[in-house]
Amino acid sequence: MTATENDRRDMTGTPVPGTGKLPLEGIRILDFTVVFAGPYGTMHLADWGAEVIRIESIKHFATSTRGQLARPPIEMVRLRNTGMGYVDDDPGERPWNRQAIFNTHARNKLSVTMDLTSPEGQEAFERLVAQADGLMENNVSISMERLGITWERLSAINPRLILVRMPAFGVEGPYKNYRTWGNHMEALAGHPYLRSYPDEDPTRGPSGVPSDAASGVGGALAFVMGLRHRNKTGKGIFIESPTAENFVPFLGDFIMDYSMNKRVYTQLGNGHPFLAPHNVYRCAGEERWLTIACRSDAEFRTLCQIMGEAGLADDPRFADSLSRYQNRRELDEIIARWTIEQDARETMNRLQAAGVPAGMVMDENDVHSDPHVAERNFFQEVTHPEAGTHKNPTIGFKLQNTPYHIRRHAVLLGQDNEYVYKDIMGYSDEEYQKFIDLGHVGMDYDPDVA
Amino acid sequence: MFMPLEGVRVIDLTHYTAGPYATRMLGDYGADIIKIERPGGGDPARRIGPFYHDEPDLEKSGLFLFLNTNKRSVTLDFKTEKGKQIIKELVKGADILIENFPPDVMPNAGLGYEELSQINPQLVMTSISNFGKTGPYKDWVGLDLTLFAMGGNMWGSGDPELEPLKTAGRMASFHVGYASALATALGLINAELRGQGENIDVSYFEATLQSIDARMQRLLGFQYNNKVAMRVSPGASLGLGSGVYPCLDGMFMTTAGAAMFPNMARMVGREDILSEPGWDTVAARSRPEAAEEWEATLIPWMLERTMKEVQEACIEHRVLGGPFNTVENLMNDEDFDARGFWQTIDHPATGPLTYPGFNSRIHFEDGERPVRRRAPLLGEHTVEILKEIGIEGEEISLLRSEGVI
Repeated sequence: MTATENDRRDMTGTPVPGTGKLPLEGIRILDFTVVFAGPYGTMHLADWGAEVIRIESIKHFATSTRGQLARPPIEMVRLRNTGMGYVDDDPGERPWNRQAIFNTHARNKLSVTMDLTSPEGQEAFERLVAQADGLMENNVSISMERLGITWERLSAINPRLILVRMPAFGVEGPYKNYRTWGNHMEALAGHPYLRSYPDEDPTRGPSGVPSDAASGVGGALAFVMGLRHRNKTGKGIFIESPTAENFVPFLGDFIMDYSMNKRVYTQLGNGHPFLAPHNVYRCAGEERWLTIACRSDAEFRTLCQIMGEAGLADDPRFADSLSRYQNRRELDEIIARWTIEQDARETMNRLQAAGVPAGMVMDENDVHSDPHVAERNFFQEVTHPEAGTHKNPTIGFKLQNTPYHIRRHAVLLGQDNEYVYKDIMGYSDEEYQKFIDLGHVGMDYDPDVA
Repeated sequence: MFMPLEGVRVIDLTHYTAGPYATRMLGDYGADIIKIERPGGGDPARRIGPFYHDEPDLEKSGLFLFLNTNKRSVTLDFKTEKGKQIIKELVKGADILIENFPPDVMPNAGLGYEELSQINPQLVMTSISNFGKTGPYKDWVGLDLTLFAMGGNMWGSGDPELEPLKTAGRMASFHVGYASALATALGLINAELRGQGENIDVSYFEATLQSIDARMQRLLGFQYNNKVAMRVSPGASLGLGSGVYPCLDGMFMTTAGAAMFPNMARMVGREDILSEPGWDTVAARSRPEAAEEWEATLIPWMLERTMKEVQEACIEHRVLGGPFNTVENLMNDEDFDARGFWQTIDHPATGPLTYPGFNSRIHFEDGERPVRRRAPLLGEHTVEILKEIGIEGEEISLLRSEGVI
């Protein structure tokens, strides 16, 4: 199967009208992305119809992409408790095809294996570049230069190529070879310090990666922009979309405050600069939490009525927004004394029915069992030959004239070798056999690959 | 030089953060953004701080100034009959309309996709709302906090002994705006290549489920092994050598784990440990006690070094790490300066200020990307844009006296 196969149905399986064309149908993208930000970018392009071909090597393992190690010891698999590991906590025969992070973003993609560190691998790569519309990658500069992946060379082979490079800190500059994950780059940008708990050791805060998603979307947008540029001019283009420069604008209001007033914030926790209540409150049960925020006196009055403490809305400590903000700790304690007796979901429903902003802190199980999520078909059941059948998360936006569904399970390592070598690159059966003999082509990492 | 969105006209009916961030991205790529603001107050973001010198003023909000570069501002009350006609006239010559009102507002004003696509069948209309246009929560209200709690990975964020934490500031809103820009661009490609307009439904909830802060992979991971993303102490997801540690002049975050540990051992001059029992294999280093044992070596090493020295050692030894900075540290970082990331933008109400630069750089063969134009004053381009659709002179005075503009 190729990514251009077209049986147009929506997520419930109903055939759909329209042109039947996904926006990026017919666009072929070579994908050298690793870890998450880059692969999340190419996921969007594959989702919307591009033929995204992951270029992988069975002689080298890109760490933290198809898992941390090609063959992780069971002790390491069991140590992890973040829920992002392997199917049934069992790495299986081919762990690289059973890992949750990879299998989330690798849907709708293709995979070819080749070894770019050899001359014949380079020749194959050049053939592939000539047949492609784009190339995306998110490695540090030195890694790409070693493989000869530069704009000068690629554009000479294919002047219509759209190249999107998204290393953490850009292709040039003092940090061009600085390897980080999203969380370290965010630490450098100031996010974990801003986000941490007030009144606690700042190192107790979370180390998250919203930057991965930001830069993945940014990389995908950069590609689509390159495509429109080519649609209008006929020419290829090189766009650099560093993850750091995609993430820093998400701190825009803090940056502007420093720029305007030299003010530096740290340890904001769940607080808001001027609203109260605006916090998370513990509810009945284990690890059940509800967020509540009020933007107006009216919303606060409704909250007080639902809490059965209508008088609070006229209490001078809380009667207007400034007083509520100044006395927010007392107010938080009063609300928390109420919520600890309440069911989080039921209280969310009750507050929302009355127009008060409330959202329960949902764990993964809450999302999977949520009625709104179900009605909008956010999950789609997909069968993967080595991972089994599971409900996969789908998309964050719907194009109503162009319905979406996952067309193919997360790609197995080397699954499309024959199609890519023969149909795209034009190698004969004998030549293809040579690539097999030379160890370029396969569906298993070499035994000595860590 | 041809900007990627040259010739694209966007009718921007967005306000606050997510929608304006979406149109800001399209403006940065060269689209003509016509921002429709409410007469009188304009975009409510103009009333939200931080304010220049802490003086509340419709033209001095840092949030607004940052989000609305490269846009033109028209004041217009589209709920009046004449205002509605002006929107329809603008839509005739537009490629894109973006709005982030609650789901019923545009259809109730007679400006839903059904009506507008009849005027302009190739129109790409993007609607951003809290929960999307359908489903039991479609009319629910929300803020960054409550929506991130539901959609994002708040449950798994923070210290296990403390409460769950949101991301900082308006991060979920920025993410939703960014996703909306991508959705709109995809719609535009289909409209231009295939003549098919598009009606895009962006749900803040779903855009955070897919995926701010690794939420998406956790949702599949839960299906794989029934585990939820427990809050863990910082860095503990990978254990060994992972956390935020004190150093000479601040704090520093590193990640190693059993697999990547050898590089960290070399960085601190303890390559020898890699041949000791309990440290010689990935399985051995996966002992739960290994993390605490290693801190006895790592922390004293950190305490003798500055953040900058640790960072340089990380780059040299390929160890994942980053200084635990404030925004002030960030704005003084050598890399962003050397790359010319920051932009100075002048504005009549604030004078020149430093802004975050472009998210991407386009390597044109034949020129430089134009510098950003400052955010517009409220209604600064009303007359100019009305003239573009043939409304002039007394007609404009009449619209003004009727409060339409």
